[in-house]
Amino acid sequence: MKKLEIKKLKVRANRREILKGIDLKINRGETQALLGPNASGKSTLAQVILGNPKYKVTQGEIFFESRDITKFPPEKRAKLGIALAWQSPPVIKGVKLSRLLKEISRKEIEISDGRELLKREVNLDFSGGEKKISELLQVLALNPKLVIFDEIDSGLDLKRLEKVAKIIKKELVAKKVSVLLITHSGEILRFLKPKVTNVMINGKLICKQKNFRKVLRTIKKYGYEKCKKHTLSPN
Amino acid sequence: MVMRSAKNIHYLQIDHRVKRLFQEKGVVILPSAEAWQKFTWSKKYFLKKPKEGYFIWIKKQIDFPLFACISIASKNIQQELGNLLVVEKNLNILLRGACNTLKKNLCGIHKAEGKIVLKENSSLNYEHIHSWHREDIVLPNYEFLLEKNSKLDYTYKNLFTPKKLKIKTILNLLEEASCNLKMVADCNFTETEIIDTLVLKEKGASGQIQLRLVGGKNSKILAHSQILARAPCKGHLDCQGLLIDKSSSISLVPELICKNKQSQITHEASIGKIEEEQLNYLRMRGLNEKEAINLIINGFLGI
Repeated sequence: MKKLEIKKLKVRANRREILKGIDLKINRGETQALLGPNASGKSTLAQVILGNPKYKVTQGEIFFESRDITKFPPEKRAKLGIALAWQSPPVIKGVKLSRLLKEISRKEIEISDGRELLKREVNLDFSGGEKKISELLQVLALNPKLVIFDEIDSGLDLKRLEKVAKIIKKELVAKKVSVLLITHSGEILRFLKPKVTNVMINGKLICKQKNFRKVLRTIKKYGYEKCKKHTLSPN
Repeated sequence: MVMRSAKNIHYLQIDHRVKRLFQEKGVVILPSAEAWQKFTWSKKYFLKKPKEGYFIWIKKQIDFPLFACISIASKNIQQELGNLLVVEKNLNILLRGACNTLKKNLCGIHKAEGKIVLKENSSLNYEHIHSWHREDIVLPNYEFLLEKNSKLDYTYKNLFTPKKLKIKTILNLLEEASCNLKMVADCNFTETEIIDTLVLKEKGASGQIQLRLVGGKNSKILAHSQILARAPCKGHLDCQGLLIDKSSSISLVPELICKNKQSQITHEASIGKIEEEQLNYLRMRGLNEKEAINLIINGFLGI
């Protein structure tokens, strides 16, 4: 069953076209990866799926559980079950993480890692790793059906990364939550083994490949452009 | 803190009448006009002969907070309060105060001249909450005297502002006294003027003034905060405004006056807005725009 379906999506911001016709499908319980160089449009795609009004959809549609959500406001999308772990989340001054979690939670979560963050103001003076833990806690509290992790592996050491991947596996993948992993380095893919790996360059998906290791090897050896050869037919 | 029932209140005045005067062991609570007659010494603290208001004299340590509440319940009432609070030496006291109009369209006027005296080595934690309606005029004028080694933690919160608010606060600190003054106001449909002066009179005195002001709908806010250092001492001003409506304005005027070369006084002031990114972040967590704005405002105000 398709959880998310994006059809021919074109997006502009500040009079510049950023996404130039994206087609993407993610099934229920499926983990996919999205790789690409800096400024290729990966984070924009995540923000557009969540309905950030900063971006203007000029063409195409976004379906979630077969409902056209292209014009839904962000809060409605969140309530439907779409969650995003931000790459660089903003500071919410004066609001402690515990209070934010209380406001947004749709289920009780077990907090083993990040307990010390609860008393601190959201993202204020958080290290890179702390931001990722905070984002993960918030996402889990939303009891989502689809989670997009935007660079969850950046700023985490290997031990932390393994721990985060374990939590994602246990709390999301094992519970049939769909996951889209946006990653620059691809570090996290070794732990979560996506079913499909997409590569985006300059606002276009140029590759869809089942074997993420092959994609990572190609990128390492020849760069992103060479991934074009390894296009799979859409699932 | 919410006054849940009149039972909790030690001094309750509605319009011009004292409705409740609850005596506790070691605490003298009287209408200020009566105290003026009864205690000659009080005359040196009252600025003038009081007509109405409270007199609270804490002589012994108590282990519960004191509550004072002054309300307006009738139309066109003009209160002219003379309040005096005296905390004797070596006591640690909690005080909660509330002033309000009980409903809208009363067109109340609340004028207050107050003095709070902390004797040597005493400490006071005072939370003062104002809650008004759009037709009211509120003009409080409070002076704090902090004697040697005393400590004050004073928070003034006004989450429902009147048509006109002019609040003056002067803090005089003697040797080694310290204070933390926090003024919080969520301003809507108001002309608000806040004037704070912290006078560090003697050696070792230290204090901080913290302002958190939100410019909501149709509000004009002027805040003038001053620290005057007369002795080797430390002081800090932290003034922050959050402007959220295009119909409003905020002016922050921090002022530092140093008359002693060994003193250290500093300030920071800023006026910001709610960032789109913050709003979108919270909306992506499922909060609608209004809920997200309220959360940001409450975080800013620290409430």
